[in-house]
Order: sequence, then C-alpha cells, then structure tokens
Amino acid sequence: MNVWEMLFYIFVFPGLLFLLAWTFFVFYFARKTLAYLHKRVGPHYNGPAGTLQTIWDIFKLLTKESITPKSADPYLFNIIPIITPLVAALPVILIPWTPLINHGHAILDTDYGILGLVVLIGVEPFLLFLTGFGSNNKYSFLGGMRILAQMISMEAPFFLAALSPALLFGTMNLYDIMYSNTWLTTLILLPGAIIFIITMLGILEQPPFNIPDAEQEIVYGFYTEYAGTNYTLLKFAEFTEILVISAAAVTLFFGGYRGIFFDSFWWLFLKIALLALVMVAIRASNPRLRLDQMLKFTWSWLTPLAILNLVWITFAKIYILGV
Amino acid sequence: MEKIKEILNKFEMEYVEDYKPTWVKAKLKNKEDLLEVVKALKEAGIASCSTVSPTDYPEEDRMEINYFLEDIINKKNVWLKVDIERALDKCEIDSITPELPSADYHELESYSTFGVKFKGHPNLRYFLISADYYGKFPFRKDFDWEEHEKQLIENVNAISEEFFEEYEENEETMGHEGSRTVLHWGPTHPASGPIRLKVYVNGENIEKVEPDIGYVWRALEKLAERKDFIGTIVAVERICFMDNTNPMICYAQAVEEIAGKEITPFAKYMRVILGELGRTVSHLISLGGFFGTMGLQTFLMWCLDVREYFLDVLEDYSGARIATACIEPGGVRYPLNDYKAWFGELNKAIEKWESVKSDIEDIFLKNPLMTVRAKETGIFNEEDVIENYLAGPIARASNVKVDVRKDEPYAAYGELEMDYVTCDSGDTRDRLYIIYKEINQSIDLIQQAMKKIEEGIEAGEMDPKKDHMIKMPRRMPEGEAVSRVEWARGEMLMHLVTMPKSTNPYRLKLKAPSVNHTRMLEKLLPNHTLSDIPLLYGSMHICQGDLDR
Repeated sequence: MNVWEMLFYIFVFPGLLFLLAWTFFVFYFARKTLAYLHKRVGPHYNGPAGTLQTIWDIFKLLTKESITPKSADPYLFNIIPIITPLVAALPVILIPWTPLINHGHAILDTDYGILGLVVLIGVEPFLLFLTGFGSNNKYSFLGGMRILAQMISMEAPFFLAALSPALLFGTMNLYDIMYSNTWLTTLILLPGAIIFIITMLGILEQPPFNIPDAEQEIVYGFYTEYAGTNYTLLKFAEFTEILVISAAAVTLFFGGYRGIFFDSFWWLFLKIALLALVMVAIRASNPRLRLDQMLKFTWSWLTPLAILNLVWITFAKIYILGV
Repeated sequence: MEKIKEILNKFEMEYVEDYKPTWVKAKLKNKEDLLEVVKALKEAGIASCSTVSPTDYPEEDRMEINYFLEDIINKKNVWLKVDIERALDKCEIDSITPELPSADYHELESYSTFGVKFKGHPNLRYFLISADYYGKFPFRKDFDWEEHEKQLIENVNAISEEFFEEYEENEETMGHEGSRTVLHWGPTHPASGPIRLKVYVNGENIEKVEPDIGYVWRALEKLAERKDFIGTIVAVERICFMDNTNPMICYAQAVEEIAGKEITPFAKYMRVILGELGRTVSHLISLGGFFGTMGLQTFLMWCLDVREYFLDVLEDYSGARIATACIEPGGVRYPLNDYKAWFGELNKAIEKWESVKSDIEDIFLKNPLMTVRAKETGIFNEEDVIENYLAGPIARASNVKVDVRKDEPYAAYGELEMDYVTCDSGDTRDRLYIIYKEINQSIDLIQQAMKKIEEGIEAGEMDPKKDHMIKMPRRMPEGEAVSRVEWARGEMLMHLVTMPKSTNPYRLKLKAPSVNHTRMLEKLLPNHTLSDIPLLYGSMHICQGDLDR
C-alpha cells in the first residue's frame, strides 16, 4: 500500500468524503421518507426535490457559535465531540466495501474482523456517556446514565448475534464470511439477523429504543448542551455509526457487496438503504419504550434468544450443512 | 332537591331557592356556619367543588364568595353564597379544602387574586400570579393598574429574581438519607408547554411533584370587566385556542339568561354544529399529542391533516380558522347565505375523517408498544373522580357518567339523540380511546343537527339568512347567572355578575377543568418513572391556556 493509496482511503473512499456524502444522503433520505409517511412534503425548495436542504442545514450548523456552558468541564466537553467521530469511523477499515479496492478485501484484511468490529462499536457509548457527564447538566447526566444502561444490556445480544456467522463458517474474517454466504446459509442465519437488527436499533438509539436521547423526557439527553460545530460532529458520528453497523449487518448476514449478475459497491449500498428504510418505517409507527421495559426485554427475551440462536446455528451446521 | 333544601334550611339562611332544574341557590348568613353546611352537604352526596368565585363590592364593603358544589353522579348542585368583610386583615373564611379536596387550587387562586384568606387550608400560598403582584391582589376593584404599570421595571426585576432563586435549587438534602435531585420540568421543556413541574427524583423514580403555574396568566377575568358585552367574547375565546367555540357558547348563554332572551331554534342548532366542530378540532390535537409524548409524531401529522378540513369549515363560516369569534350573545354571528355549500364543506371534512378511521385504528389505537406503555398505568377510579372533580373525558374514561350536554342540556342538545360515551378501566390508554370515541360522537351530533336544520328550512320554519341573531339590549339589567357547557376538556362554568344598566360585565368567573387535572398530577406521578411524565401528563389533556386564564 503506497502513500497515495493510503491518502485516498483516508480522505476519499471509504474515508472522510464518503462518510460526509453518506451523512448528507441518509439525512435527506430519512427526512424525505419520514415526510412521506407523515403525509408531509419534507424538504422541497432548495435544489431539485429539496436535495440541497440538508447540505445547507449542516453548513448552517457549522457557522453557528459553539457554546460551552459555564458549569461544564471545558476540556472534556470539547474534546469528546472530536474523538467520537474518529472512533465511529475506525471500523470502516474492517469492512470490505467494493471489489475494486484491495481485490475485494477489506483495507485491513484480518482474521479477527468481527472481533475488531464489535470492540470498536462497543467503545462508542462510553464516549457518549462522557459527553453527558462533562455537560454537568441534570438532563444530560440522566441521558448519560441511560445510554450506559442501554448499551450494557443491548451489547450482550448484539455480540452473540454477530457471532452466529462466525460460528457457522468457522472464520472471523469478514471477506471469507461474505463469500461463504449462500441462499441457504442466509436462511439459516435469518433469526440471528433479526436479533442483530433489533439490537442495532438499540445501539444506534433509534426508535423504539431512542431512550437515551428522548426529547420529551430528558430534552435530548446528552445532546442538550451541544450547539454549532460540536453538535454537527456528534451528529456526524451518529450517522457514521449508522453506516458502519448497517454495513456490518449486510456483510455478516446478507452477502455484502455480492449481488445478482455482478458484484459491486452499489449492491451493498442498496442493501444498506433497504435497512435504513426499515429503520425509518419502524420510527414512523412505533412509540418509545420505557427504560425498565427495555431492560426487561433485552435480558429476559433478547439475550436468551440470542443464545438459543447459537444452539440453532450449531445444529444447522452439523445436520443441515453437514460440516 | 327537596332533601338538599331541607339540609340547607337547618342553618341560618338569607334565602334558599331553586335555580335551573339542577341547582339550588342559597345564601348563608354567618360565615362561621360554612364548614358545617359543607359537611352536611357532603354527607348528602354533594362531594365535589366546581369552583370558588369571590365577587368584590367595595361600595357595600363586602366580599361575596360563591361556592359551586356539585353532586356529579346524581346531578344535584348547590350554589352557596356567603358574605365576608372586605378589609384585607379581616377578609378571611374557613377553608373547605379539608372537606372537599377539589376546592384546593380554586381557593389558592381566590387568595392570590382577591386576598381572601382561607383559614385551615393545608398550604396557603401565592399561586398563579407572578412575584410583582404579591400582596396586591389584582382582581380587587380598587387595584391600581396604572400605578402597577408605572413600576414596570421594578416588577420585571421582582419576577426575574424570584425565577432565578427558584431555578438555582438543584438538590434537596435529606440528612442521613442522602439527597434527591430536583428537576425543573418546564417551562421550556419540549413536552411541557408553559407550565413548570418541580419533580423530585431519585434516579429515574419520581418521589414528589409540585406544579408551578401562571406562565401564561393573562388576567382574562379582569380583562372581561374592561370590555363591553360583545367585546368580551374575544377575551373568553382565548381561554384555549384548541376548542374555541364552546367557551363563547357558555358566555353567550350567561348573558342571554340575564337579559331574559331566548334565541331562535336555528341559532341553537348552529351552536351545536359549531360547538361540536370546536370539540373535534381540539380532540384531533389531543389524539395526536398523546403519541407525541412517546416520541411518535406520525399520528399527530395525520390528525393535523384531518384537522385542516375541519378548520376550513370554520374558516368558511367565520373567516378565521382558530380564533373564530363566531358566537355572540343573541345567537350566532353570521347568517348562512348558502347553507348547501357550507354543509357540503362539512360533509367533505366528515368524509375525510371516515376515510382515515380504519388506518388509525389498525396502526395506532391497537399499537402493541403503546399498549405496553399505557395500559394499566395511572388508573383513576370513581372515588378519585368525585373527590378531585376530574371532568369531561377523564371522568368518562373511568366510567363515570358525566356530560353537561346530557345532564343540563343547553343549545339544542336536548332534542338530539346522544348517550354518555364511557370507557371501563380508567387507565391511560382509555383516556386515549375516549377521545377517539368522542370524535365519532361529535360527528354523529353534527350530522343530526345538519339534518334538523335542513328539515327546518324545507318546512319553512327556519330562515338561515335572518334567524341567526335576535336583538339584544345594549345595556343589561342587574343580574347574576351561572352557565355551564361541556367543553372539550370537561365542564366549563362561567359565573357572570352585572350591575344595573351596565355595558360591561361586573365580574366574570371562568372555571376550566385543567386546574383540577393539573392538581391531580401531584397524586398521579409519584411512584412512576421519569419516562412516564410526558405520557401521563399528555393523557390528562391539559391546556395551559385554561389553566392560567
């Protein structure tokens, strides 16, 4: 890997520029679909079908003053929004994005792909907790506490579900998992995929698990005190995380960039967009759960089901695939 | 009725007389007897206090206090009056709150605005008014508004100082028990509206709630005294923008009663249609807002979509969508020049509602996550309803049959077919379902009234171009009237006092149900978690406009 190649990876694809483009896209996509389900129009005036609206909104946020509250810890408060998007963007190197890069492998082609992915995704909530802690605001602090409670209970089934393809194919290399996947194994992995997608909603704080940043209860939780650039960076981190976890879901369970007739990045993109559509539809039709109900759901239903799923995978591996 | 009169006659009364079919009006001679009278009435089943309304007579050096006591089950009500002295140091009377808890906030309000001290009130404090009015009592006739406005800067400082002082309280220490956090839930909270709940929390669990109200206090009752009888309708309709027509009906009835006029049948049916339109428009927001409290905005958007059609109907009639000012003493304000076109618009709105009903039921009313959150939480039983006088939909959700439209029919409700709409369990989900059922009932009533008007016009009994108004006198005789309507959120009661040959009201007391519903939050919210505040608060359908007035 030479220097130019590396710089291309960092700044263009799948690095900064791609992530920014994704942020603009998913912001617009979610707004427009949600508006359709709300019987509204959504962004309309700026650009064709309102496409420029998101870009202008983000640049507007960047030009706003970044306020640090008097009582907040100024270093913690301002450093976390810089670290968070960096950490959120790191798993990008572990995912095989397109056949054109690195002969179809991930940029960092390792035999511990799933492990790296799971660890890097698991670090994120603690950073968000620190944003709430550093804000020194009652509502933000409550949001921080909630995010810890939610992550600890969601990550157990999340990791167990992520393990199921590794168990089935006997490898943790994401490229190998992707190429071992067939129509039959996709069906075998389907229960695992459903658990993965449910926990994904929890980890991304999407409805019905948007408990840590509940607007009506604790005023957006850990986001409360953030404004301007800091808020943009946190939002950027959130959308990057959505991309990374959806891409992980697609790679693990639905064959990544492999498609019918030809393999391409656009197949991956299409699958991610479908996942995003499911997320928006759930968001448009379901109210938020209570924290204690969420805890009960994860520990008494989701985690046992995730363990049972591993049993099913082992069974299927021996008796259906006959390995 | 006779039994109540008997009880009242045991005490020294100036008079005891019948008033309307469901009321007994009486005046007590000695204020010392008040508690005994209330106790005796409570034993006879009159266990709810609708409101407490003082009237100030500076010339006669007396303050007349009106108690509106109701038996909401058997529909027997007592209007009890008593005179007390007016001078600030002697202006006191026994509190009836220990006997009838529903009088609590109403007594506090009378204390803050009139300076009537209620002896034995569990927590007598200034309420509703801001710090600059403390000790001045703005609703008294001799309150100097011009002087008060001259001290504007000082007043602003007094308000902001009080505000900052209160907001600096973040923690309540409890000795060896450690401490608990004080959360200020409002007035700039996304789900609160202009009200502040002081919530004492231990982690996520609520231990105590103290509502702090008065952020949108506009002194509407005083404002009405400065306007003429027609102009008052714009003060009255601003109680709450959501259901705008029913308060005007209530006020117009009180004025007509004092003037001794009877409006035409056409105007009566028009009042039914407009009143039910107001209720539908308001309920559509309540319906959607319920889900908004749980972070789901889709339903609110759908409801607003339907609401637009109903607002179009109001706009077609009155020229305004929200503040319509379309009902005034003497009838309704505008004639129906082309009644078929207007009914066409109305039918279009009804069709729109019918077309979305099945989707609403399938997606939202049967939503499993909503059921998980709302079912079997925040239950009110019949005793709660009577003791705290919860009104309207909240009472009917607990299977208490109370509806002013049926208990004391006004406008043309007596001639239409309607029944009490109730739900059984009284939990939070039922307070959503009752709203949905009531919209359907309103639509049914509108259709019945439309049919009656059409029949009347065809038979030549009604003339939509002329019958809308009768002539009302410019100057009113001396009198006093109580008028009640079923507002979107429950019973609305207005107490109007006029002086001889007056052009403006002498005193107008507005009673709206949100006061009692807000008081109920103190009992409802403890032992729930922080996540339940918006849901339970939203399920009470509180509007800060009618809470503060």
